[in-house]
Amino acid sequence: MFLELKGIKKHFGEGENHVEVLNGIDLEIEKGEICVLLGPSGSGKSTLLNIIGGIDSADSGYISIAGEKTAEMNEKRLTQYRRKHLGYVFQMYNLIPNLNIRENVEVGSYLSDHPLETEDLLRTLGLYEHRHKLPNQLSGGQQQRTAIGRAIVKNPDILLCDEPTGALDYKTSKEILKLIEEVNQKYGNTVIIVTHNDAIKNMADRVIKLRDGAVRKNYKNEHKISAAELEW
Amino acid sequence: MIALVSGFLVADNSLLAAYNEGFEKYSIENGHFELTQEAEEDLIETLEKEGVTLYKQFYVDEEVQENNSTMRIYKDREEVNLACVMEGEKPGQSNEIAIDRMYAENHELSVGDTITVGGKKLTVTGFVALPDYSCLFENNTDMMFDSLTFCVAVMTPEGFETFGDDHLHDTYAWKYVNEPVNVIEEKEISDDFMKVIAENAAIKDFVPRYANRAIQFTGEDMGGDKAMILLFLYIVIVIIAFVFAITTSNTIAEEASVIGTLRASGYTRGELVRHYLITPLLVTLLAAIVGNILGYTVIKQYMVDLYYGSYSLPTYVTLWNAEAFAETTVVPFVLMLVVNLAILISKLKLSPLKFLRHDLHRRTKKKTFRLNSGIPFLTRFRLRILFQNIPNYITLLIGIVFASILMVFGMMFSPMLEEYSEQIVSGMFADYQYILKAPVETGDENAEKYCVTTLETTSDKYPVEDITIYGLDGSDYVKIEPEEGEAYVSNGYMIKYGLKNGDIITLKDKYSDDSYEFTIAGEYEYPAALAVFVSRREFNERFDQDEDYYTGYLSNKELEDIGDAYISTIITEDDLTKLSRQLTVSMGDFMVVFNYFGVMMFLLLMYLLSKQVIEKNAGAISMVKILGYSNGEIGGLYIIATTIAVVISLILSIPVSHYTIKWLFGAYLYTEISGYIPFIISNTIYIKVFIYGILSYALVAVLQMFKIGRIPKSDALKNVE
Repeated sequence: MFLELKGIKKHFGEGENHVEVLNGIDLEIEKGEICVLLGPSGSGKSTLLNIIGGIDSADSGYISIAGEKTAEMNEKRLTQYRRKHLGYVFQMYNLIPNLNIRENVEVGSYLSDHPLETEDLLRTLGLYEHRHKLPNQLSGGQQQRTAIGRAIVKNPDILLCDEPTGALDYKTSKEILKLIEEVNQKYGNTVIIVTHNDAIKNMADRVIKLRDGAVRKNYKNEHKISAAELEW
Repeated sequence: MIALVSGFLVADNSLLAAYNEGFEKYSIENGHFELTQEAEEDLIETLEKEGVTLYKQFYVDEEVQENNSTMRIYKDREEVNLACVMEGEKPGQSNEIAIDRMYAENHELSVGDTITVGGKKLTVTGFVALPDYSCLFENNTDMMFDSLTFCVAVMTPEGFETFGDDHLHDTYAWKYVNEPVNVIEEKEISDDFMKVIAENAAIKDFVPRYANRAIQFTGEDMGGDKAMILLFLYIVIVIIAFVFAITTSNTIAEEASVIGTLRASGYTRGELVRHYLITPLLVTLLAAIVGNILGYTVIKQYMVDLYYGSYSLPTYVTLWNAEAFAETTVVPFVLMLVVNLAILISKLKLSPLKFLRHDLHRRTKKKTFRLNSGIPFLTRFRLRILFQNIPNYITLLIGIVFASILMVFGMMFSPMLEEYSEQIVSGMFADYQYILKAPVETGDENAEKYCVTTLETTSDKYPVEDITIYGLDGSDYVKIEPEEGEAYVSNGYMIKYGLKNGDIITLKDKYSDDSYEFTIAGEYEYPAALAVFVSRREFNERFDQDEDYYTGYLSNKELEDIGDAYISTIITEDDLTKLSRQLTVSMGDFMVVFNYFGVMMFLLLMYLLSKQVIEKNAGAISMVKILGYSNGEIGGLYIIATTIAVVISLILSIPVSHYTIKWLFGAYLYTEISGYIPFIISNTIYIKVFIYGILSYALVAVLQMFKIGRIPKSDALKNVE
């Protein structure tokens, strides 16, 4: 199994404020899968994504990616882990405001020994003509495409998307989802999408539903449709 | 800063008040003159008819054996120039003496010590400040006062008499029966009085109070220091205002969501402006309170000690200084209020929605400027950080330039004075310059006759100062041979007054209206004094003397066949290097303050501004951490960008400091100090300042590296774009 999570627990706060956010999550995700993590607010899906991404740590349990357990890694190795294996896409894009679009993508390519060709990628993303602009000169959809470009330019093993369409309108959301799908098909990355938009599960290979910090459903999607066909 | 300036102003004001009150309290003379011999009663009567009262101020100049210095001893004066006892008591016996406090401190003498003056063992009974020597000028024509090798003292009349007449100076002080109403009238009256004395007696020296540097220099210098310190304060306040402006802008950017939410909830702009104003104003107020407390206590004492280290001032009382309060408290407070208010009003004009979206620009940037994609990515990244933080870096540049000027100023003096002393010594044309009371022959073949006199400048460029006129004949000591009508001018005079060959300089006699013109034929390397060299023949013609007249000898050996009675003065290396020695002593401590302050300024500005660069980019830093950049790589981006700004600022500060200080020399120092000090700044000083800057920044950079390490990755998750 490419990505394995075993007994992941996480709590926030102490004493009266103690909240168990994750109550022992067990998951297995295969390489190249699109996995959608669904759940209402407070279900723990973003926390789980952050733990997979190595930017938060679990209280117990472990995550293994291609046989490497993140719990055994120190900060330096965790950085290397993120650098080598992960690409991140956030709801609010998190682009670096003083770098232009091309340079924001290059922030990702710098991390890889064998990055994708930046200019080609910008063309693929439909951003080539905007490459000299700053993020705040672009629309939300264009900014999210830039964030995706930054994440995939290093061709990561896993693409983590935290509510990637949360700040976008319907049309732009579908464009972004199509792009994620294309990336998955073209480069074979494992994609984990956290969302509360139930419709997105239809484009997934695997659907995991979380509630109150526990996995309520975990199944392979037998009726997967393309992102272009999604409706909500 | 407030403490430093407040302390300085309180000390300056209190001491200046003590100095000014001293004119009446210690009955300071209106002037004094010296005659070649004691005045008869009828001469005294004649002179007193000019509306003055005369007082005998006879003194002897005797050598202090222990310190190889000159002690000017007066009988304790009871009518004018009254001594202020600073420690101990006045002498009561003929073998007792009360000496100047500053000289005693410079030579670590205590009350009760014994010193050998003019071969006599005397017990020091006390330390005094003589009001006519608040600044220890041995002669009024000296370039600088001298508290190391010159001292004033008082003895009992009996003790004074034991020194005999050999070194006696027949000096009289005068006080006007009716005080002149202003300096112009005082000058007219004193000029007339001088003519009357000159008509009736052989005058050796004439110094009205307004021109007496031993009395006036202290007051003028304290006023000058104050102007400098206030200028210094305003520059610092402006820099701090910049820092506050940037800090306030960053605070607004950081709290945009809160501001947006509050505005959307119905809070008015005024309410938010007041909220964000309170913190900087409270900080300023607190700084002002703490600063003033320190200023009136520790720092004031330090500044008082600095002044007492330079001047022989009387006792003082600490005075409340309303001006210091205004300058150090009201002005900074108002400045902070205005700067912050302007920024807050300007920024808070944006709509709540813009705050909620973190879009704090009034206009959307249409274009960013392009960087060639051939430039390595990390270099472009750093350049973007540089461009993003230009206001911070401009403030940093101004601060670094200012701090560098302070440090160069603080460091330059000691080596400059050493170099100047060396130049003086190497430029000395004879080891001994004898000035005789009357011509007397010597059998020493080494000696060479020469003429010397002193004239005054008439240029408006600087205050009136003395120019030494030498008359020389085919000299072996001074290797120039001026033709008739030609004059050579010392290099210091040429530089200070911007003279060139062919220029005509006009000088005047000190005690008459006679003026003299000299056409400059060339420059002579003689940095020790402002001097004009002509042939002896021309000198004697011009000053109506016989063809073979001379005033002294130049010699590399001591002339043993000329008796003390014939010698007016012997100018040696010690006399010529007096200026540099005294400046080293009196300015040394103050220069150290400049160095400390410069380093503090480096540290403070570098820390505050680089911290803001990091804080402003906390979201981006957090994001690149998530992407897999190591702390080292992030430091390489954000700290190196600031490092580039620091290095550029330090490099730029070198020429700026150089030319600023050069300008200050011309505009300030040359008006304060008569004579010439060459503007010499060794390159090693700039290197030192650069190294201090880099070391300060290295410390700051380490702190910022820790700060980068502490930025949580979760920041990127919390912050919206």
